[in-house]
Amino acid sequence: MPTKMMMVLIKQMFRKPYTNRFPVKYAPKDVTGLIQKVLRGEVKIHPPVPVPEDFRGKLAYDPERCIGCKMCIRVCPANAMEFIPETRKIRHYVARCMFCALCVDVCPGKKLPGEEAPVKALKMSEEFLIADYDKYSKNLVEE
Amino acid sequence: MILEMLQDPLVRVAFAVLLPIIAIFLGLFYKGLDRKLSARLTSRIGPPIRQPFRDVRKLFLKENIVPENSIPWMFNAMPLVAMATSLTLLLYIPFGPFPAPLEGRGDLIVLLYLLAMQPLAMALGGFASGSPYASVGAQREMVLMMSYEVPLATIIVGFAYLYASVPAAASAVWAPFSLGMIAQTPVWAVVSGPVGIIGLLILLGVLLVVTPAELVKIPFDIAEAETEIAEGLLAEYSGRNLAMFYLSDAVRSFAMCAIVVVLFFPHTLSSLVPLTAYPWNTEPVLFTLETLWFLLKVFIVYFFAVTLVRTSFARIKVDQAAKFFWLHMTLAALFGLLLIYLDVGGWF
Amino acid sequence: MTTTYTYSLPIGPIHPALKEPIRVVAEVEGERVVRADVKRGFAHRGIEFMGMKRNAIQTLYLSERICGICSISHPYAFVKAVENAIGMEAPPRAQYIRTIIAELERIHSHILWLGVIAHEMGFDPLLYWTWKGREMVMDLLEYLTGNRVNYAMYMIGGVRRDLNEKKIRAIKENMNYYRQFNQEMKDVFMSDPTYKARTRRVSLLTRKDALELCAVGPTARAAGLRMDIRQDQPYDAYADMDVRAVVPQDITGEVMGDAYDVTLVRLYEIDQSIEIIERCLEDLPPGPILAEPNLIKLLMTIKRSEGEGVGRHEAPRGEVMHYVRFDGTRDGPVAWKVKAPSYNNINIWGRVLVGAEIADIPIAVGYIDPCMCCNDRVAEVRRGGRELPYEEVRRKCREKTMRIKREVMG
Ligand code: SF4
Ligand code: SF4
Repeated sequence: MPTKMMMVLIKQMFRKPYTNRFPVKYAPKDVTGLIQKVLRGEVKIHPPVPVPEDFRGKLAYDPERCIGCKMCIRVCPANAMEFIPETRKIRHYVARCMFCALCVDVCPGKKLPGEEAPVKALKMSEEFLIADYDKYSKNLVEE
Repeated sequence: MILEMLQDPLVRVAFAVLLPIIAIFLGLFYKGLDRKLSARLTSRIGPPIRQPFRDVRKLFLKENIVPENSIPWMFNAMPLVAMATSLTLLLYIPFGPFPAPLEGRGDLIVLLYLLAMQPLAMALGGFASGSPYASVGAQREMVLMMSYEVPLATIIVGFAYLYASVPAAASAVWAPFSLGMIAQTPVWAVVSGPVGIIGLLILLGVLLVVTPAELVKIPFDIAEAETEIAEGLLAEYSGRNLAMFYLSDAVRSFAMCAIVVVLFFPHTLSSLVPLTAYPWNTEPVLFTLETLWFLLKVFIVYFFAVTLVRTSFARIKVDQAAKFFWLHMTLAALFGLLLIYLDVGGWF
Repeated sequence: MTTTYTYSLPIGPIHPALKEPIRVVAEVEGERVVRADVKRGFAHRGIEFMGMKRNAIQTLYLSERICGICSISHPYAFVKAVENAIGMEAPPRAQYIRTIIAELERIHSHILWLGVIAHEMGFDPLLYWTWKGREMVMDLLEYLTGNRVNYAMYMIGGVRRDLNEKKIRAIKENMNYYRQFNQEMKDVFMSDPTYKARTRRVSLLTRKDALELCAVGPTARAAGLRMDIRQDQPYDAYADMDVRAVVPQDITGEVMGDAYDVTLVRLYEIDQSIEIIERCLEDLPPGPILAEPNLIKLLMTIKRSEGEGVGRHEAPRGEVMHYVRFDGTRDGPVAWKVKAPSYNNINIWGRVLVGAEIADIPIAVGYIDPCMCCNDRVAEVRRGGRELPYEEVRRKCREKTMRIKREVMG
């Protein structure tokens, strides 16, 4: 008994699968080795799905620009920021962050000599592959 | 030459030993194809075709857990029974150009019983596992089995009736219930008029509908309903036992489709294309071609009766399934039988 | 007469039909359910308590994490509640953007449900197909807000991101796609024989039951009740839209109150959402998007305010209500109460499950689109008739975490 669903399915069969592919077909035994091979151009991978503009990825922190005003700590919903009194800078724990970008909104930033307007010390990068076994790993703490 | 060789009892035994291995391979291979195609139908990439082989290997490596409140001997025996019946089933089916290894030692009726054995083993295993999910699953399996056996039996009766009507002179040893006979003489040639053809078409339709129920596939996978009773019958099975059920399911799926092919589409390639006209028509080449042709036919039936059906329907409820088989399918099968009766009786 | 005996079939807390933990114990007799008991509280996280320890902006983002699927419904109700309490109003442009985002979310949530209910009846290909269609709106939301879920879009007194020409064009294209896709979905869902067989007359909820058990949202509308916060108490841009509740009697002419009617209601609500979004885009007023752009000042305002507020929003699953109270001493709520739609709708399980078949349980459970982590708001931890103080519960939690850590890490 042919149904509408069957028609939809058969139509789909002759189209390209919709699934986003993994970078490589099978999980590699040695990820770093694979990355190096990719960099050398020996292996081709399926490129990741591009992120749209204004994507909220991992927070990027530029201590040069930070004036230590603690505004970001004040608004951060996740308490992902820590103030370092000695340097009057902040430390950011990515593992706690929930990517709301409120800190970016409030950060006043600093005007370096020769610049028109102040540039924020914080901004959302496009990086999203940040899974790790250790929440204090180097990749996940920014200061 | 090959056929003569197969008359040799030793070769036959070797064939019978070899066939289960081939059958397991083919069953898993077809399962892989089925999964891949079902994935493509739903716009997914799907697992590689060798995934079922890996699954089985993994299952065999896993721990075999026997639940505390089960009946251990029954719980452990049923997967073996299911596996054994599935393999035996295959020994009765003429495999393309090769005659069935147990040719002449059983017929369609035996097939009917063997087909019923595996669900029965699963149901008993379910009852023995002592879990409420499994026993609900087992009850459902029993109800379902009782419902689809009637149309299935009607089809078999139709065939027997049809072949019994052929003058015995057509063959030296005429056995109306034998699959070998059916394989050699396509049914479509046995019926005499359009009424018979219509009757046969109805029976074919019924058989195709019974196939997914027989194989516990959606829309009739009621006994294993994942979201309702957590895989039902198989809820408590793991490791080696589950692998056995998995294998028996794979083999049976292949066998069931092969039965459809043998009953309704036994046409050999050489009967459609004049193969002998080509210079390379040595016997091994012909046999290979015929085998591939048979596998292709099975694949087509598999795709339409199992893969496409299981991807495009929802699981129905057990009372709906019972009603569907008892009422609609049984009536349809009986009507088909009536048409064949009229055809054989020469009223048209 | 044969004697029948019953046995109990546990569904949950972990079960393939459930996406989140909850427990339904069904006494079954053969295939019939004779008694059903629902036990909730497995997903309680103490979010309200956490909110009362934070400032209002932090709490807003916490509220976004109450639900895993509607990440705009709770913030919507929360910002409405806070604005109500401190007497602030979002600028018109912000109100329109809020409505657009909320309706986009309704589209994705309804499609999600259509897929889930198909999965509950073993119709996985339909799940794959509907969710494939859902990707477009998820991508759109990612483009508009920066992430696929947890949009971080709303702010007390407005929204945080504006829509530019490019984004408006993207929404319009998307709506054209959904108009067509929804038509296809209607065709498939309404013509499929097995879908109909599994949903017609399943989990029947009469009008009376719906009223008695306080059902909300599509569940109540499927029972024929014309109730929709967007219609009864319009807020933000909905006030200009003249939204009418979608009820089955307007679609097919009769009300059954079964899972099939819920499907219809949801399918037609997608159409309604598309219309609302398109009208919002047409009438999108210019102007600022925040009543108070300086967040620190906003917090000061909140700290100075005293009073309470209630915010209601018609979430995809029904009415969500937030209550907040400020006492003029802290910049966060001193009381925060959340009532999610599933809290009401789960009540109807007890009624619709009795007399159902085992096969109907997943449908009955799924058809209200339950969200366990939304509904689990209160948990009482008692031992020996004594209420444990917060500190002790926390200490015990820590101890357990440490123990598990030791066991796992070796
Ligand atoms: S993005 Fe949000 S959660 Fe992350 S550090 Fe900034 S304010 Fe905190
Ligand atoms: S808000 Fe910006 S400048 Fe101020 S402390 Fe944070 S990072 Fe530094």
